[in-house]
Amino acid sequence: MLAAVRSATVFGVEGRPVTVEVHVATGIPSFQIVGLPDEACRESRDRVRAAVLSSGLQWPSCRVTVNLAPSGQRKGGSGLDLPIAVGFLAAHGQVPVEALAGLGFVGELGLDGSMRPVPGIAPMVAAMQPCRPVVPVPGFREAQGVVGDGVRVAGCLRELVDALNVEAPWPEPPDTELFEEEPPVPDLADVRGQAMARMALEVAAAGGHHLLLVGSPGSGKTMLAMRLSGLLPPLDAATSLATTMVHSAAGVRLPAGGLVRRAPFRAPHHSSSMVSLVGGGSTSLRPGEISLSHGGVLFLDELGEFAPAVLDGLRQPLEEGVIRLARARVSATLPASFLLVAATNPCPCGGGPPGQCDCDEGARLRYLRRLSGPLLDRFDLRVGVTRPEVDDLLASGGGEPTAVVAARVAAARQRSLERIGMTPAAIPPGRLDDLAPLADAARNRLRDELERDRLTGRGYHRIRRVARSIADLRGDGELVEDEHVVLAMQMRVSLRVSHRASAA
Amino acid sequence: MSAGCPPEAYAAALAGFEGMTLSRLAALLRHHDPEQAWAVALRQQPATGLIAHVLAKREVRDAWQRSAAARRPDEVFARCQELAVQVLLPSSPRFPGLLAADRQPPPVLFAKGDLSVLEGRRVAVVGTRNATAAGREAARQLGAGLATAGVHVVSGLARGVDGVVHRALLAAEGEGRPVGVVACGLDVVYPREHRDLWAAVANCGLLLSEMPPGIGPEAFRFPLRNRIIAALAEVVVVVESRERGGSLITAAEALDRSIPVMAVPGPPTNRAAAGTNSLLRDGAAPVLDAGDVLASLALEPERAAFEMAELRARPRAEDHAVYEVLRHEPRTIDGVALAAGLSLVDAAMALARLEQAGWVGGADGWFECVGSPLR
Repeated sequence: MLAAVRSATVFGVEGRPVTVEVHVATGIPSFQIVGLPDEACRESRDRVRAAVLSSGLQWPSCRVTVNLAPSGQRKGGSGLDLPIAVGFLAAHGQVPVEALAGLGFVGELGLDGSMRPVPGIAPMVAAMQPCRPVVPVPGFREAQGVVGDGVRVAGCLRELVDALNVEAPWPEPPDTELFEEEPPVPDLADVRGQAMARMALEVAAAGGHHLLLVGSPGSGKTMLAMRLSGLLPPLDAATSLATTMVHSAAGVRLPAGGLVRRAPFRAPHHSSSMVSLVGGGSTSLRPGEISLSHGGVLFLDELGEFAPAVLDGLRQPLEEGVIRLARARVSATLPASFLLVAATNPCPCGGGPPGQCDCDEGARLRYLRRLSGPLLDRFDLRVGVTRPEVDDLLASGGGEPTAVVAARVAAARQRSLERIGMTPAAIPPGRLDDLAPLADAARNRLRDELERDRLTGRGYHRIRRVARSIADLRGDGELVEDEHVVLAMQMRVSLRVSHRASAA
Repeated sequence: MSAGCPPEAYAAALAGFEGMTLSRLAALLRHHDPEQAWAVALRQQPATGLIAHVLAKREVRDAWQRSAAARRPDEVFARCQELAVQVLLPSSPRFPGLLAADRQPPPVLFAKGDLSVLEGRRVAVVGTRNATAAGREAARQLGAGLATAGVHVVSGLARGVDGVVHRALLAAEGEGRPVGVVACGLDVVYPREHRDLWAAVANCGLLLSEMPPGIGPEAFRFPLRNRIIAALAEVVVVVESRERGGSLITAAEALDRSIPVMAVPGPPTNRAAAGTNSLLRDGAAPVLDAGDVLASLALEPERAAFEMAELRARPRAEDHAVYEVLRHEPRTIDGVALAAGLSLVDAAMALARLEQAGWVGGADGWFECVGSPLR
């Protein structure tokens, strides 16, 4: 009259194994779940009972107690419906207990006994290893992406019970055709003109530099940003798995292959809350947008409109590549290594060429002050974007397509990895001379800029890193040349806070 | 009411009344001496004409009663003395003759600095607050040139052209001195970033206002201020102005007074030069440098005195082509590369060289020519 079923819950982006113990005894009929279930979990009593009855199975008048072990840990979500149902059927003798050995179950039940997918199948399946996972049909690719072969599926509870009773074979896993192909990323060839901004995208992708696009409304900032993720190389195995876990845990639709292999692109609206951006929630610590863009691009349009506290929340993950969330009872570390791309107008009226702007300096200053400070400093690249000129729009053919630029980016990344083992954006200031040495002309130019007070110390380091990325892209040798430094400086426009020129 | 206050005290207090317009104040002070005018405004004495009509309105009566309590003559006058602000009535021998003879004379004037400046040759230089680099450069050259020639410059101490011309005048350390006419009380510095400039103008020249201390800048006061700028000048020069800029009000006031108006031409595509170009089309004389202004004052333009030798190395080859592309309008680096037919890298290098040499300046991703243009 006792059965134990292996399952798991999601916490942050990690799965945690859970053993569902079901005890069926005589007594006053009741159905209790203990072991710190949350509301969705407690409601599974009604779903499980209805699903069992709808599947033509029996629910006798008896006392059913479910314990979710380890009992001290909070559990949430509806993914425990299936193991509870299976546990009950085994404890009541409708399914042999031995059939459950070596299997782990996860899934939500409908009242008609159908099995539905839940968010977080990937991390839960990972946590259940070495058990063979049994998941709802739509969760198959996700589970397979993590554990490879050996995933069992079932469409409804009845099918599952028949398979466990060896009255029918296990249902066949679905064909890939059932899943939609990923939509193609927008191509860089669609962008007319914008030579400087294109080059900045290329440099950002090659060197891992955060990018700020400054330009008037309608100049194409969003269009450009959307094309950045296509320039990034496919995710490596570890990042791919980590990003898949995050997407799965957050319930974001996964690509057909089950694993997120393409660099993600996330563009939360500027009204987003702190928790939606960095992650959180009181029990499950759901991953936020910064974790969802792990390995890819986080695009913040209208940067100045985000709440200042939200933006400040980005600073620590930008430095460390992870976000550490802690609540009174729980804490979790989520991956959050992303390329930050932001867009802003140069001033409240949208700016334009000098003399066109309607704002006085006070208004400009107030507008830019919202962005200024430590966050603004994280952007290695600050590029002005302007509406393309008529000649550009009429010029025959677009620019280079994404594939061509992406190949250059991949080659540059490879060169950098072979030479110094990291992307240029990650070079610590102390090792710049060592890892990104300057040619004499480049050194003189930077010294001159510093002496003329047009460059701050931090700007100096950032320009050197960007220059190194440009050198990698152009395949030019060991030394960073003058030309690279000049281009790097052109990709770090000063924001015109005052006509008394502001330093970069 | 506090006995022993000079008449200026009553006029100073009345000028700061809520709802006190130029015509109301003029009417009060035309028919009564200031102390009587104070009593009339507070309905302690019978009013006549316009004032009787105005006092029939309840909101005016209430506003003036309130203002009288808040702005007592002895206090206002003490504040003026504390700030070293002179209060001038048209009856005073020190009241500037130019304004006393004007068709719309200020009923009371607040001055800080040296009134004798108004006896010299005076040119008003005004312009937009959002000036381009070219406009700023023109203002700078005018300020320096006029200062060197010993011509005093009247302006409004606003952001942009006004501030630049006075700063250049002060920096040139010539004979020419600044006259600033502002629209708020002399203790309310607006814009605040001109605090140092206000002090320098009061020290070296003259600071004027129609408003008593404590009155803040309000939009409707600026056009009135512009009439004083026009009235004080022998020639009004507009450096840059938009199609409906405040500088055009100054120009119109000058034309009403038969004072010549001159304007600095700009490219037709430049929005900041739209107003000045339309002045030129309407017949204003063009100003290319301070010599043109001096000529209109019938002064010998001593061009050599303020034309500085060119210290910057002449741009060559590609750099020259890039400079020519930027000569008439600001462009982005993309625009420069496209117009000059250069690759992005070559354009970036050329711009870097030009910037280093001081021919070109950049901000927000836009590049424009700076300094005196290449000849």
